[in-house]
Amino acid sequence: MRVLLHTGKGGVGKTTLALATALGSARHGHRVCVLSTDPAHSLGDALGEPVGPNPKRIAENVYAREIRAQVELDRAWQSIQSWLRELLREEADELVAEELLAFPGIEELVALRAVHEVEETGDFDVCVVDCAPTGSTMRMLRFPDALRIFMQHFFALERKGARLLRPLVRGFDVGRLIPREDFFDAFERLYLEIDDVRQVLLDGDRTTARLVVNPARVIVDETRRSFAYLSLYGISTDAVLVNRVMPETVGGGYFSRWLEREKEELAAIEASFPVPIHRVSLRSREVIGVSDLEDLAHDLFGDIDPAARLSTSRPIRIRREAGRTRLEIDLPGMTKEEIDVVAKGSDLHVRVRDARRMISLPESVIGKPIEKIRFREPVLEILFGES
Amino acid sequence: MRLLLYTGKGGVGKTTTAASTGMVAARRGRRTLVVSADAAHSLGDVLGERLSGSPRRLAPRFDALEVDARQVVESHWGRVRAYLVDLLRYQGIDEVVAEELALLPGAEELATLVCVEQWARSGDYDLVIVDCAPTGSTLRLVTLPEVAHGGLRWLLRLQRAAAHVIEPIARGLVGAPIPGGDVFAEADRLFYGTLHRLRARLLSRETSVRIVLTPESMVINEARRSLTDLCLFQIASDAVVLNRMLPDEACREDFFNEWGRLQVERKRDVEEAFAPLPCLVAPLAGDEVRGIEALAEHGELLFGDLDPAARLGESPRMRFERDATGARVRLPLPGLDPRTLEVTRIEDELVVGVADRRRRIALPAGFSKLEVEGIVYRGDELVVSFGSTAAPMTSPDGLSAEANSRDPSVAVTGPGPSR
Repeated sequence: MRVLLHTGKGGVGKTTLALATALGSARHGHRVCVLSTDPAHSLGDALGEPVGPNPKRIAENVYAREIRAQVELDRAWQSIQSWLRELLREEADELVAEELLAFPGIEELVALRAVHEVEETGDFDVCVVDCAPTGSTMRMLRFPDALRIFMQHFFALERKGARLLRPLVRGFDVGRLIPREDFFDAFERLYLEIDDVRQVLLDGDRTTARLVVNPARVIVDETRRSFAYLSLYGISTDAVLVNRVMPETVGGGYFSRWLEREKEELAAIEASFPVPIHRVSLRSREVIGVSDLEDLAHDLFGDIDPAARLSTSRPIRIRREAGRTRLEIDLPGMTKEEIDVVAKGSDLHVRVRDARRMISLPESVIGKPIEKIRFREPVLEILFGES
Repeated sequence: MRLLLYTGKGGVGKTTTAASTGMVAARRGRRTLVVSADAAHSLGDVLGERLSGSPRRLAPRFDALEVDARQVVESHWGRVRAYLVDLLRYQGIDEVVAEELALLPGAEELATLVCVEQWARSGDYDLVIVDCAPTGSTLRLVTLPEVAHGGLRWLLRLQRAAAHVIEPIARGLVGAPIPGGDVFAEADRLFYGTLHRLRARLLSRETSVRIVLTPESMVINEARRSLTDLCLFQIASDAVVLNRMLPDEACREDFFNEWGRLQVERKRDVEEAFAPLPCLVAPLAGDEVRGIEALAEHGELLFGDLDPAARLGESPRMRFERDATGARVRLPLPGLDPRTLEVTRIEDELVVGVADRRRRIALPAGFSKLEVEGIVYRGDELVVSFGSTAAPMTSPDGLSAEANSRDPSVAVTGPGPSR
């Protein structure tokens, strides 16, 4: 199954283009599921008909679904909830799921799990994800990494601790504070699901991101940074979709200054992103409903299958030259001062502005000193020497 | 001290409007701070200046900052964080990564509120304007003090019990660092003290939300839903800002004829949907609004003679009524699909759910012994009426009724309490 993540600055038309991509993919014979993971859902608004937490058929071979954390928690987390309920037996049952929502990361978890669920059904060839605006999406994408570290370092320990403590506190009131085995089982299952999603996300053949932009300075600036963060998290971006380009029929007049600016920004977009750029122009009225969206898909992709991988470039590359290894990461829009690289053991710690990631190094360079770090926008090069 | 929160769907011009409001207020004599709360900051881009987590003066009486969650967390609950880092390091996790992990998601919203509160209390400003993240996150932001308070109070209780009772055993068995009393004291202060203060600030009469929108139906629909959510959580709004209206000159362009015709309709929709809130209008500028002068111009066009810091209007508020015939809770929830409404009474609380958001409303003392008699959604208002008879003291379970009538004006009465 292909996963197509649509993200970008708020209001650029992520939802509209995600739906257009879904409808366009269906025309190429794919079975498509569109998921909205933005808590402020707008699939329904763009389709002109309500979409809910259950998959809804919106066209032949296309289903849409809005992920609502509350509903998903009620559905899927029975054993975790039942432990909490026991723990809080004096509290009202109905509120347990709501309180879970206060936990950091829950929304991200639920969104990722939904992608896994779509894959599990086996009913779909393509999963189009309409993500929340940039900030939240980055949080969602780095969630699996944090969870993995937690699981590796804590989970076994906590489980062991619980096993040891359980017989000691049996019969005491505090005993109910210690989760039962089935809680750990449920948590582990959940983790495995999320780890599956992590692998799907990191595999550029299966998952690619599409960045949606408008030809305006502030938007292009932010999108360049998004591209860099996606690279850092190891997610391949395979296209930039430019929405709302002023049509050529618009003459000078009131919009002359806008037209000039747009031209500059379109050129900047072409120069900034090392992936194909697809454009679609502003319509003469609002784009709402399946047939408007199908038209848009046609203008955006022509005869290209929107579900195909539109670029094979990878965000993190390892090259060997003359016995030496060079690691490259695409980080458009960043400056040298915003990047920090340290090798520690088998990992490379990379910080880009306020995002950080540990990148596992290939065997061949573990322990080798970093000889040189060079940033020539957009490429960060890390050259390893001989030990 | 006046606090204004600008929210709206992404791309409608929240940042521009927040900054231009600040610019006009500063020019008219108010000491103003504009705070960007969106993790994907663009306030600096709009002002054409580099910003940080501390206020930077960009014009007379005009300061701006971009919240730096990491820095706020560090200075406000360093001990909780230090413990987490300790615990992580104990597990063999590198310090840098441990620090990253100890900055939990959710912390961002909290950091924003703490930062806003800090400057609001500082006495340095007459007006603080927050440029919020797009709708979804804004709601998380304004509801955080309430939701977190409910969700975390038992977590804290649990942890304390665990530390006191299990600690001696666990230390021997596992050897992991156990949080000391000061960690709990700080967590306590955070969850009870800080959250309480933040909540009071958000509910204060001096705080208003302004919803920014553009004349497009997708944007208007989302704005209506967020107004409902804001009403549910009792956060007052005082105006809507209709941004990017095409000027007549632009509508004369053939291509924009249809957009021009549509926007007249949309403006009417907005005025109707958000009444009694006033609708301020800003035209689409002939060029990108960037830099101090362009922002000031945008602000002047938007406010004219109005004081940008004034309370420009009043959104309806929740009311408790009591008279001879019984008692009622009236909760204004404009533009709601009644099928998504769910009302449950649990002891002395009323739990109101709208789509996937829920809020607990504490009933005043006089209501707690009364039984719910009817639940009606009519005229943009949820009315829960209570009978004058006393409920049996023994009934711990509440009444549950789902308002699933096809006709929103028909009363939906729930089944009696199950006993």
